[in-house]
Amino acid sequence: MSATAGYLARRAAQKERVRILYRKALKDTLNWAVHRHLFYQDASDLRERFEANKHVEDPDRIDRLIDAGEASYNKWRHPDPYIVPWAPGGSKFTRNPTPPEGIEIIYNYGREDND
Amino acid sequence: MASALRAAMLRHIRVPVQTLTLTGCNSQSRILCGSLRSMSSHGDDHLDKEEVIDRVLSVVKDFPKSILPRSVTPDVHFQKDLGLDSLDNVEIVMALEEEFKLEIPDKEADKIDSCNLAIEYIYHHPMSS
Repeated sequence: MSATAGYLARRAAQKERVRILYRKALKDTLNWAVHRHLFYQDASDLRERFEANKHVEDPDRIDRLIDAGEASYNKWRHPDPYIVPWAPGGSKFTRNPTPPEGIEIIYNYGREDND
Repeated sequence: MASALRAAMLRHIRVPVQTLTLTGCNSQSRILCGSLRSMSSHGDDHLDKEEVIDRVLSVVKDFPKSILPRSVTPDVHFQKDLGLDSLDNVEIVMALEEEFKLEIPDKEADKIDSCNLAIEYIYHHPMSS
């Protein structure tokens, strides 16, 4: 019973690793592609590489395949990936952030008493 | 949208501005108050829910592999209802990120598996645009 639960937990963890690896690799493919129309072919090739091992059942072999995939991803990772501007590392990160709640501009600063 | 808001704002603004008080803002004037202190471009263009729903649904409908794109409603589950697999799910979430100019952390993106979750997540994300 616990063996089955352990097996299922291991499989779930493996599936999550694959999903996250695919997500990272797909984003990296977009980073490497200079144009969108080049990306589509690359993305489809990437998808084929994942689909090729879709029906592997042996958990140890799956682990090795995922390790190999992650190693390949790390090897070919883009040195300067696209980051959404507001996100950490993006070009707009912490630039001109929203003022805290309750802070407002005083337009007549310095003239309150004189008028 | 932004230009319409801007025009509406400019029509409502009266100088001197200090007569505006933050107390008793109804929903419309809260938008105005919020825009008045737009010292930054951050978070001053929130999407309303209808628009989020429309755009999420159009992304899902345009996804080339989804079967029955007609039956896409706000509460479909990507894998159970649309006949997609987990990698397609990843692709949809990435398409949504691009549509709304978001960057979703991997662990959170992994949890988004239905239109409902996607709409909730994007609607509550301060940076979606």
